[in-house]
Amino acid sequence: MKAVLITLAALAGLGAVAGGSVVAFGLYNVSAQAGHLPAVGWVLHTTFRNSVSLRAPSMADAPDLDDPDLVALGAGHYATACLPCHAAPGQQRTATSTAMVPEPPHISEAIAHWEPNELHWIVENGAKMTGMPGWPARQRGDEVWAVVAYLEAIRETGPAPDTAALAEVTEPRAYCATCHENVAGPVPRLDLLPADYLEAQMRAYASGLRPSGIMEQAMSRVDGDDIAALAAEMAALRVRYDSPADPGTEDETGRTLAMRGTRDVPACTACHGPDRDAGPAPGRAGPAIRGQNAAYLAQQLDLWRDGIRTGSPLMEAAARDLTDAQIDTLSRWFAQQAPAPDN
Amino acid sequence: MPRSKARAAARPKALSAALTLPLLAGCEGAQSALAPAGEDAAVLATLFWVMLSGAVVLFLAMNGLFFYLTRIRVQAQSETVARWLIVGGGIVLPFVVISALLVWGLSILPDHRQAGDGLRIRVTGEQWWWRVEYWPEGATEPVISANEIRLPAGQRTELILDSAHVIHSFWIPALGGKMDMFPGRETFLSLRPTQPGTYRGQCAEFCGASHAWMAFEAHVMAPEAFDDWLAAQAGPAQTALSDAARRGAGIFTREGCGACHTIRGTEHIGVVGPDLTRVGSRTTLGAGRLGVSLDAYRAWITHTGDLKPEVEMPAYDHLSEAEATDLAQYLRGLE
Repeated sequence: MKAVLITLAALAGLGAVAGGSVVAFGLYNVSAQAGHLPAVGWVLHTTFRNSVSLRAPSMADAPDLDDPDLVALGAGHYATACLPCHAAPGQQRTATSTAMVPEPPHISEAIAHWEPNELHWIVENGAKMTGMPGWPARQRGDEVWAVVAYLEAIRETGPAPDTAALAEVTEPRAYCATCHENVAGPVPRLDLLPADYLEAQMRAYASGLRPSGIMEQAMSRVDGDDIAALAAEMAALRVRYDSPADPGTEDETGRTLAMRGTRDVPACTACHGPDRDAGPAPGRAGPAIRGQNAAYLAQQLDLWRDGIRTGSPLMEAAARDLTDAQIDTLSRWFAQQAPAPDN
Repeated sequence: MPRSKARAAARPKALSAALTLPLLAGCEGAQSALAPAGEDAAVLATLFWVMLSGAVVLFLAMNGLFFYLTRIRVQAQSETVARWLIVGGGIVLPFVVISALLVWGLSILPDHRQAGDGLRIRVTGEQWWWRVEYWPEGATEPVISANEIRLPAGQRTELILDSAHVIHSFWIPALGGKMDMFPGRETFLSLRPTQPGTYRGQCAEFCGASHAWMAFEAHVMAPEAFDDWLAAQAGPAQTALSDAARRGAGIFTREGCGACHTIRGTEHIGVVGPDLTRVGSRTTLGAGRLGVSLDAYRAWITHTGDLKPEVEMPAYDHLSEAEATDLAQYLRGLE
């Protein structure tokens, strides 16, 4: 028994010395040109597949992936963040991309073997030691669905945004406009907001104070000195926006909730502007939101309520007790209102 | 030497007596069940004194008996005496005394749902303040106030109690017993204060971080004075404002205070927090947390969470001192 223990201890010691030598003297060849041994490749890939399957979220969390605005937003992000490695549909990958280890699959190949919820997990989390990055903003899995929506759109043979063309747009104003001029839904109308507010938001995105994987990626392409000028141009942008479902009828529940609130919900209009007939709200604490896109408002209220968007103690307190139904009602009501006259 | 020793020995006794005496003062004052100022509290005080007297008598009797049997008559007792002591002192006496106390105690117990003389007050426990609605007889809508209860002396008022989120307990010791407040369920209390004056109420059920800061003042007023007060309370907020107050009103609007607070007669109709229509007429700030000086108002506005941990209201510490002062002037003037 004693001899067995001594032998085991000696083997363990030798193993530690051998392992330490590999690390300490650089004995392992990390060359990408050398690649993996076949068995190692199989182990790594199988582990990856099974890990994704185990962790993929429920499809119950997914929004409507056929929403054209969501697809367009996802395409805009894909063109700048994903396309350099995975290429656009119908386009070749670059030679540099295919020389990576592991090789990033062409996008039509990449999506072929995964369900939408698995794609969501991969885009949100990335994969260690593969070069596939995680989503730039933590807790913003909600944004990832836009990319999934685009990937689902190209899976089918129907029309999908041309990300190869989108990727050509690099001039900052034109680049911002690809979404903010043409996409509604989850993309906000900027013409409602003053330039100094936009500038503050752009800086908050750039620094990560306001978490958004899509906007952080976008702002990483804008030089810090250009932000003020760009904000002024964005505030003047004429945009496409969702027209109210039926402007003739007003939802009384929404009106009461927005203008009076409940015992748990403060009145939104106290900060965001009074009755639409009463003119603008000079100097109020909150930005103008009347006429803003409903999907964007709902998304932002979710983020405030869940403590993901922070930075305004007033708004954090105001949104804390909102229910899903109230968020839905408020977003629709504000989207239906005519914007403040000074905008 | 012996004298100083004796003095040293006497000192702790004198000290403890000196320390104990002020404690007795706690039996007086605005928040004491032993200084009743109403019919219902008087019943409870009587019950307490009767029980205390009885307990003292029993305590002395038991110790006297023990002393007698161990020091004065130390020989073994006869079986007859022992049986009398056990059956009489151990079974019959407690049965009679406890039954009598129970019957008497139940017979004088205040009826929490006793009909009043017309006025009903609904009090809702919030974290950590009191939402108050006065419903005079025949009223179709309430007069809304907060963090203060006013009652007419000599009249019986019905209180309807409930709570928004957690269990609280409503207690004005000088006026009556306490009653728990439950979310989603009404409880009742009926009070007939007799002596005009100012008394203190306190939440008596742990309800979160600022439970200890959840208090209020109860003002018992002569009936005519109460009627005048209630009539004045029902109207809109006053509009004659000083220059500072007018600036403060602008800050109130700009900062969105009206999202949570109502000031009747203005655009501010929020119902999350206390109604501020006549906040300046109240005698405490922040549900008994602070007095009502200008400094207190300013401190409350700018350091809300420091003064009342976990309170829902955000601190407006981004206001300049001049702005906070103007806002305080405005609110303090809302009498």
